[in-house]
Amino acid sequence: MNSELIDQLTGSLGANGLPYTIPIHPNLVHLTIGLFIIAMTFDIVGVLFPFQKWVFKFLGITVERDNFFDVGWYNMVAASIITFFTVTAGFYEMLLATPPADMKSAWGLQAMETMLWHGVGGVFLLALIVGMTIWRGWQRFVWAKQEYKQTDREVQWLYLFAGIAIMLIMYVHGTLGAQLAAEFGVHNTADNLLRSGQDLNTSLK
Amino acid sequence: MLEYLTSLNDHNLPYPDTIHPIVVHFVIAMVVFGFFCDVVGYFTGKASLFEVGWWNMLVATIAIFVAIIFGQFEAGLAQPYSVAKSVLNLHTLIGWSLSGIITAITAWRYVIRSRNPQKVPIYYLGAGLILTLIVGVQVYLGDELVWVYGLHTVPVVEALKDGLLR
Repeated sequence: MNSELIDQLTGSLGANGLPYTIPIHPNLVHLTIGLFIIAMTFDIVGVLFPFQKWVFKFLGITVERDNFFDVGWYNMVAASIITFFTVTAGFYEMLLATPPADMKSAWGLQAMETMLWHGVGGVFLLALIVGMTIWRGWQRFVWAKQEYKQTDREVQWLYLFAGIAIMLIMYVHGTLGAQLAAEFGVHNTADNLLRSGQDLNTSLK
Repeated sequence: MLEYLTSLNDHNLPYPDTIHPIVVHFVIAMVVFGFFCDVVGYFTGKASLFEVGWWNMLVATIAIFVAIIFGQFEAGLAQPYSVAKSVLNLHTLIGWSLSGIITAITAWRYVIRSRNPQKVPIYYLGAGLILTLIVGVQVYLGDELVWVYGLHTVPVVEALKDGLLR
């Protein structure tokens, strides 16, 4: 964002360019990614259950196939809800970002390109996660209950493949975010202090 | 190949980005959401939410050991400068303690579930609340290491390599 515009807020912003010390977006990201990946993992385990029954028997864990599908469903719903907040916090913090203009990331992108891809990608992923949740709900409450379905399998193979594809997008997307943090130093107190020539051991005391 | 594994990049790592903050997704998200599901299950009596609580805790238990392995490795390469040292030490101490605490709580949960999967005692929810709070403190300390002290970020690693910071 244009630094003159950000200057309208100076006074309320700290050394990291935010009105608080720890950025919120990267913390909500833990929840979005953790919940989505574990939701997909449990649906995969549920679909492959006939092959791994013996593992749970060996471990002494009593389990029914439906248990895995419960985790797959509820974790996905939670991922959907929390991701609205993840994206909102991300946009707030990106609008206040002032990364250096004279460097490129490990992927050869400049700060503005990285932020645009990460911003647009975030909205795209939110749409995908919400779409997956609706699809998952339809499978749980409509598809799985239809008469023609002969098994107790609650999710479709295509859903699993779509989930794996989204995880790959998430990996690329997350790496862009990591580059904004650890290479461009966006909202990083130590990095900003170093760039303004301060000694960290005295200014962070 | 061997050279790739032993030479360090501009994050002072033998691989592109830190892995510990990725693995902890599966501790933080699972503990927080598992606790949330247990509380909602307790008040609504919906037993399937107890299943979600238990399985999430099991994932968190496995994940924390992986998180500690990478955490220990990356802490060893972090070169914490003097003001960052005490925060890293405390983060390490709580991290190892959490592996014991999470394992004990999940083991307790295994027994509860084996006896009656339809019910969870209020004491277990108390333990879940304390665990969630400790995880919150631990996340805050980890956030400080990255976002305030900038460990493994390019500008800090550069300053350390140039001897501007120690």
